[in-house]
Amino acid sequence: MTQLIHLLFFPGGLFLLALGMGYEWLDRKLLARLQNRQGPRWFQPLADTVKLLSKEEIIPQGANPWLFIFLPVVALAGTLTAALYVPLFGLPPAHSLPGDLILTIYLLSLLTLGTGLAGANTPNRFSLVGATRTLTQLFAYEAPFLMALLGPAIVAGSWQISIINDFAGRNWLIVTQFVGFLVAVIGLMGKLELPPFDAPEAETEIVSGALTEYSGRGYALFRLAKNVELVVGLTLVASFYLGGLANPLAFILKTGALLLIIVGVQTLLTRLRLDQTVGLWWRYGALLVLAQWLMIVLAKII
Amino acid sequence: MTLNLPTLWHDALEKVKTWARVNSPWLIHYNSGSCNGCDIEILATLTPRYDAERFGVKLQGSPRHADVLICTGPVTLQSKERLRRIYEQMPEPKFVVAVGSCAISGGVFDGCYNVVGHIDELLPVDMYIPGCPPRPEAILDGLVKLLRSLQDGQIERLETRPLAT
Ligand code: SF4
Repeated sequence: MTQLIHLLFFPGGLFLLALGMGYEWLDRKLLARLQNRQGPRWFQPLADTVKLLSKEEIIPQGANPWLFIFLPVVALAGTLTAALYVPLFGLPPAHSLPGDLILTIYLLSLLTLGTGLAGANTPNRFSLVGATRTLTQLFAYEAPFLMALLGPAIVAGSWQISIINDFAGRNWLIVTQFVGFLVAVIGLMGKLELPPFDAPEAETEIVSGALTEYSGRGYALFRLAKNVELVVGLTLVASFYLGGLANPLAFILKTGALLLIIVGVQTLLTRLRLDQTVGLWWRYGALLVLAQWLMIVLAKII
Repeated sequence: MTLNLPTLWHDALEKVKTWARVNSPWLIHYNSGSCNGCDIEILATLTPRYDAERFGVKLQGSPRHADVLICTGPVTLQSKERLRRIYEQMPEPKFVVAVGSCAISGGVFDGCYNVVGHIDELLPVDMYIPGCPPRPEAILDGLVKLLRSLQDGQIERLETRPLAT
């Protein structure tokens, strides 16, 4: 019974979807305020989702209909499952097992993989270009992001998210591992394809990237998956670097602060070309994190 | 796929759907041969100064994501097929807004050898916004009126309306 509640209402399912939409609204509203406008109303993401769900779904000719229908479901399921392993809303994770950090990161990648495959599945040329870009970007940010999250894991001596969270509650890791924090935040933005890393869905060049052919239900599910991923990603980074998440108040304050940083970066910077994104990650991000890793390991040995 | 629900539930569901539709109109913009004056005004409507996102309006790149086709100009013979294709690619329910005198009646291009005349001859138009070009306030006003008439149920469902050939 408690399992079912965990899955359907809290922290999985309904609560998570509502939280995801809330954070999408917060993101759009803050962006609007920084651009000196009024911004969307509080129920905007809900209205968008319901509208998309009630629209006609067109399955394009030449696409595999099964893949076309199930990829959004897989993407949403992956991100929803990932949420079970993180300290959502400052409460201890619903499930915990040794090594769940790796599992969570893999589950979060399902959305990007699903988007890429969805783009490759449709015969539309914009989708194909979008899919290529999505997958290229995946290879760019995934490794540095993973390494940035492993920094706290090494210090805490465990790969279990709840243990790292406890450890981070006692030491603010942003002070000792500032580089890791930066890379993690920027990696999260890359994962969510937020500007300046939105080359995969650059609407001025390739319409809307891999999801060009999706209408109605499929598009709604992909959007929801992205919202949930935003919440889970913020929770992960906040709990690892910003002194752990021990209670709901800390959760709201810390993820809110993190979101503010992300929105600020979104407003300030323009879109990077794909080669610039990849160069940024591999030339600076990965090397810096690697250097920090070495220092952590050395400090541990000594 | 149709569900057979009891009337009470069906009505409630329809209400929710209409509410969502009214509050989240996503646009796609197509220039079917206008002089570009109207297009600039449409873009001005979407800038932070007029902030159309207050009404949930968002400009989309793909016809598959859009609800409202907002088009300008007297439909040149070249753009005729493309305009119809864009319209056909949009998922139901969809609405068409004609912006500018040219889109309504041909305007200064009326009688030209290379134009169809007006958008009405090609697509079922739901809202006309006159002006040469209309001001951004007028375009916003037109959009809001479209949404309001949608809410009141004045606009019939489009599936029943025939497409001109
Ligand atoms: S209505 Fe006026 S501004 Fe608009 S396309 Fe026609 S001539 Fe140009």
